Amino acid sequence: MTKDRNFTKIQELTYELRVRDAMIADVVTVSPKQAIHNLRDVMREKHISGVPVVDEGRVVGLISIEDYIRCLAQGEMDVIIERRMTRDAETLYADEPLVHAVRKFEQYGFGRFPVIERNGQKLVGIITKGNIIKCLLRKLEVEYHEEEIHHYRASHIFEDIVADKTNLVLKYEIAGKDFDRAGQSASRLKKTLHRLGIRPEIVRRIAIVAFEAEINIIVFTDGGRLTVSVCSDRITIGASDNGPGIPDTEQAMQPSFSTAPDWIREMGFGAGMGLCNIRNCADEMSLASQIGKGTNLEVVIYLNGNEADKDVRRQNEAS
Amino acid sequence: MKLKDIVERLHLESATPRCGLDREVSGGYASDLLSDVMANSREGNVWVTLQVHQNIIAVASLKELSGIIIVNGRKAEQEVLAKAEQEDIPVMLTGLQTFEIAGRLCEIGIRGNTK
Amino acid sequence: MTLEEISKTIEAEVLVGQDSLKTEVKIGCASDLMSDVLAFAKPDAILLTGLANRQVIYTANVADIHAICFIRGKEPDEKTLKLAEQKGIVLMTTRLPMFVSCGRLFKNGLTGLGYLDISKRNDQR
Repeated sequence: MTKDRNFTKIQELTYELRVRDAMIADVVTVSPKQAIHNLRDVMREKHISGVPVVDEGRVVGLISIEDYIRCLAQGEMDVIIERRMTRDAETLYADEPLVHAVRKFEQYGFGRFPVIERNGQKLVGIITKGNIIKCLLRKLEVEYHEEEIHHYRASHIFEDIVADKTNLVLKYEIAGKDFDRAGQSASRLKKTLHRLGIRPEIVRRIAIVAFEAEINIIVFTDGGRLTVSVCSDRITIGASDNGPGIPDTEQAMQPSFSTAPDWIREMGFGAGMGLCNIRNCADEMSLASQIGKGTNLEVVIYLNGNEADKDVRRQNEAS
Repeated sequence: MKLKDIVERLHLESATPRCGLDREVSGGYASDLLSDVMANSREGNVWVTLQVHQNIIAVASLKELSGIIIVNGRKAEQEVLAKAEQEDIPVMLTGLQTFEIAGRLCEIGIRGNTK
Repeated sequence: MTLEEISKTIEAEVLVGQDSLKTEVKIGCASDLMSDVLAFAKPDAILLTGLANRQVIYTANVADIHAICFIRGKEPDEKTLKLAEQKGIVLMTTRLPMFVSCGRLFKNGLTGLGYLDISKRNDQR
């Protein structure tokens, strides 16, 4: 299954990633009014074999090393680029899914495509097959790290995301009684956490907490939200809703205690283990509820777990 | 085979001392869904489940099951046990999971229901 | 047991994941309730269940379970099949009831998780 998983992951990634994720933004360009001989230095120094021709930021054509060589052979070094370039160059939009780029490469057999913005059609980058492969590998790499690197990565997660934020917040709106989608947010969260390079055992605990919290919101309320905050040393999962509230939170924490009606049990929920499962997975937990107002659950899971916790976890997992 | 043999051989804990274990077991049924037990269990079956709420007694009584085995080390509430004794439905407990208890029951000769 | 051996032992038809049948599985987990699956299930397990809805797929995904066999002839709908495919989860179905399925697999070497004690676990926190 591992080989299939890899293949499916790559496919998934090509649908999720955008052209802008793989492209090179720093593009070498030439203007249509320049003479062809200017290309020599550009191509030789930058080791590229094709250059977008850009006029006022917009791609008006493409000129390749073949075009250059042909001009050289015919003594046309002073001819301006505009007269020898290929017009109507194929381009890609920056916000297109990467899979479109892959298809385009297969369709046209070109080496590269200029990338333009949808609004205004300005050139924003260039993309080659090599860029796509590098991008996919970089994303996949996140899945296959060893223990030490996981530990390292856990505290360097943010270098991979957005540089000027200090934490990452993921929000999921949960609709009440939406049984069909029960568990979907937890599943999506799990995927994202894997991508961030967090250790699988920790991802599982977080996903279980999110799942149980999601189910509780669906089964017992008219709707709520899950807010997951990823910091360098911990992940905080908050679940809140607007009612009806839990009359006795102590009692609710007892295993087997459940107020779910039978029809809910017939769907596979309401065995009374939700809050227990959450407590068993959490490093810190607080549950506050007010009748008529709503419930707030907050769970903290440490990313770098200290030794004592590790032993408790190991015992729990072994039992 | 009688319930008391099962309790002994599988080291179950009896949670309803007032209920006699001297009854024949016709077979085993494992399910956590009440509607399913209502539809498919047979008289005299011993029912393996992790559900611990009141309604399991009502179902067991209606279908005349020989007893209920609650798994995963879960405990039924006092009211549930009181009702069980009232309806004379023995409730037994085990720390094993459904998979293993069902497996061991088969091992000692308790069959599932055949069509 | 491999998933292939399992499907033969409990007369199960493979619905999703036909090319992953060589996967080894050590543990059997039988449940119709999601929270139970999350409380104690382990990876390398096959889940036997009578619930054939999408939530079971999400649950299995969260619990890192890679194979599910529906019992009592339950079959999931198209959407659920697609979801399982997406998440890389093998799906099978058998007409046999839960009790019999567990019995056969247990006999053939699949184990449970041993004795569990919920109350003890809570005190550790």
